[in-house]
Amino acid sequence: MISAGIDIGTSTTKMVISRFTLTNTAGSSHVPRIEIIDKDVIYKSPIFKTPLIGEKHLINIDAVYKLVQQEYQKAGIVPEEVKTGAVIITGESATKENAGDIIHFLSDKAGDFLVATAGPDLEGVIAAKGSGAYDYSIETGKVIANIDIGGGTANIAIYKRGNLLGTCTLHIGGRLIEFQNERISYVAPSVKQVAKKLGLSLEVGGPKNDERLGPILDFMADSLCDVLLGKKRVEENPLLLGHAPQWGETVEAIMFSGGVSECLYRLEHQESRAIYDDIGTRLAKRLRASERLRQWQWIEPAETVRATVLGAGTQTTEISGATIHVHPSKLPIKNLPVYHVRMEGMKDGESKINNAIDHAINLYDPQQEGNNFALYLTGLNVLRFSEVQALARWLLNGLERQHQNNHPMVIVVANDIAKALGQSLGALKSRREIICIDQIRVENGDYLDIGHMLQSEVVPVVVKTLAFHS
Amino acid sequence: MDASLVEKITEMVLKELHSKDKEKPDQQVPTKTAGMVKLHGNLNTVPDFSKYARNREEKETPEEEPAFETFVDDPKEKEQLLDACKKTPARIGIGRAGVRPKTKTLLKFRLDHAAAVDAVYGEVTEQLLEKMNWFSVQTMVQNQEEYIRRPDLGRKLSEEAKKKISETCVKAPQVQVIISDGLSSEAIEKNVEDVYLSLQQSLNSLGLKEGTPFFIKNGRVAVMDEIGEILEPEVAVLLIGERPGLVSAESLSAYLCYKPRKGTIEADRMVISNIHEGGIPPVEAGAYLGSVIQKILKYEASGVSLVKKER
Repeated sequence: MISAGIDIGTSTTKMVISRFTLTNTAGSSHVPRIEIIDKDVIYKSPIFKTPLIGEKHLINIDAVYKLVQQEYQKAGIVPEEVKTGAVIITGESATKENAGDIIHFLSDKAGDFLVATAGPDLEGVIAAKGSGAYDYSIETGKVIANIDIGGGTANIAIYKRGNLLGTCTLHIGGRLIEFQNERISYVAPSVKQVAKKLGLSLEVGGPKNDERLGPILDFMADSLCDVLLGKKRVEENPLLLGHAPQWGETVEAIMFSGGVSECLYRLEHQESRAIYDDIGTRLAKRLRASERLRQWQWIEPAETVRATVLGAGTQTTEISGATIHVHPSKLPIKNLPVYHVRMEGMKDGESKINNAIDHAINLYDPQQEGNNFALYLTGLNVLRFSEVQALARWLLNGLERQHQNNHPMVIVVANDIAKALGQSLGALKSRREIICIDQIRVENGDYLDIGHMLQSEVVPVVVKTLAFHS
Repeated sequence: MDASLVEKITEMVLKELHSKDKEKPDQQVPTKTAGMVKLHGNLNTVPDFSKYARNREEKETPEEEPAFETFVDDPKEKEQLLDACKKTPARIGIGRAGVRPKTKTLLKFRLDHAAAVDAVYGEVTEQLLEKMNWFSVQTMVQNQEEYIRRPDLGRKLSEEAKKKISETCVKAPQVQVIISDGLSSEAIEKNVEDVYLSLQQSLNSLGLKEGTPFFIKNGRVAVMDEIGEILEPEVAVLLIGERPGLVSAESLSAYLCYKPRKGTIEADRMVISNIHEGGIPPVEAGAYLGSVIQKILKYEASGVSLVKKER
């Protein structure tokens, strides 16, 4: 299975192509369990400057598409081969007006793959998986913070033994201050606020080696420390984007990834650095010099600038359970919102399901336009056959209330009962097609992409946590 | 002493031991250890999620993980140890008292062993057979002792059985389902109803025709060959109790074979094992069996021959 990852960031765009090897890891006398056992990166693109149109408001879709085509060719693959993967638009690019368009365009044209648009939280998570911080946390059992610093934001994700403890995002990045002809050509709004707070005035047109930049960079490094320490005062920090840190544990080690980290570790050739005339390099120097940041153990990442794209290309796809019930012609399904139904075995099951369906309809299809959603059932325990039958009846009756219900019914179950439940639904002579999959973990408010059924009768699934962050 | 009394006493002893532990502040509260064995040999029985899932309609808090426990005194890396315990039903992280196991783990071990023995010597109840409307026949085995000593007799049907089968059953069905207690009557009692009903539904939806199912007492896997001779089914499915272990005494296996006849070699049989609450859920196993049968019919082969043809 070929997976593509495309990361369109604030300043750079890059992609990776990888090949997944799927195999049945269960013994021959067991029900198959299909897992991804090997992820082989077969192509890494160079790092391109994100093509923008005009005054940085729009991403140049045609140029991006051309890039993708050209890189596919270099990798020796055709779009039809791509079965999964993700395009993610990260950092400030996600706030560009046509970010949504580009996602849809690429998902149609660049192969049959699934699309994830990342919010800052998800970005941090993906980067941590790509950089190797996630693996490190599993190997050592330590609490590690991955700090992915790109052009516009620093996305922090904290992992312990492979479990995500929390995320946080700060306005710290290379492109927050840009230069042109030895003069400051751009200052991001968040940085202006910091300058104001520090009693400094930072003007566009000021000299590049303005000494006032020093305190601002110090403030950035300090803010990062505060976040990692979980300090309360972070809540008032003008650099904070979204929620304050919420992990309860002490961070033991830190790892940097993203474009700025390149300057920190200097793993790649120097030339890539020179392209950008911005604050990135100086920011990296400050971070390296920061005494406070030295209180943690620094771990070198496996990937720096490509961490996010690698994470997107290799870490976003999950594989469903092997015993599922799907109607192949209705796949792939994209951008399906998830409604989580918490069951307590079969107790009050019917009313729980009915309430959930009513809520879900109100939430996702308030105008009765026929917008579909997936129901995610947890807490079912091991069910008897009669119980599965009852469950199927409740679901079928409840979902009758969906308006214009010519969409397939999509049920995701945490327990391993999808095939039996799907068959039970089928036995009830439902008019609608049934997509019933299991062993996927999702959350309320997540969006699901379900890909084509593979030869081994599993489906690739990408779980997306919230689309665009405004 | 009868079985239920033994269970009761052991339960009381375990409870007593647990209540002592609770007085120690540092220990995590044990989950369901006092609940009757049968399932997982480990002290951590399968989590009862109903206890944890509270009514939290719109809240975004993640599901609580059930508490796992370890009996190691003051472990160095407690969380990692608990992580390992979560991954296996094997008896790990049980600590020790000097060079010996702790009383609690020893008792648990003996209890699991007793449960395994019980499963072998137990019997499938009449109620179940009546409920499922299955008639019952006997192999050439006379009693349980003989069943254990003479596996060959468990593969042959008594004359009476042959007669009854050929009189009662539909001949040359597409799919013949047979149920046998094998080495664990518990496996049948606990799981077979769900597996069978789910399999039946699956066969119906796939448009496959099933013959007349029945029960064989004291059967071995290869008994399906003799039935193959009498009824000539295209596919035979034998749901049989597995040899009990210390992890589970109620695990069921489904053996499948394309046109089983006398002289069928073992490589042509295939098996879906580990069907029980803590393994493959019975209902899902039944649903899955349907698609396996469909595949066997499509390729007209089972076991190793099927794998070869599939390539």
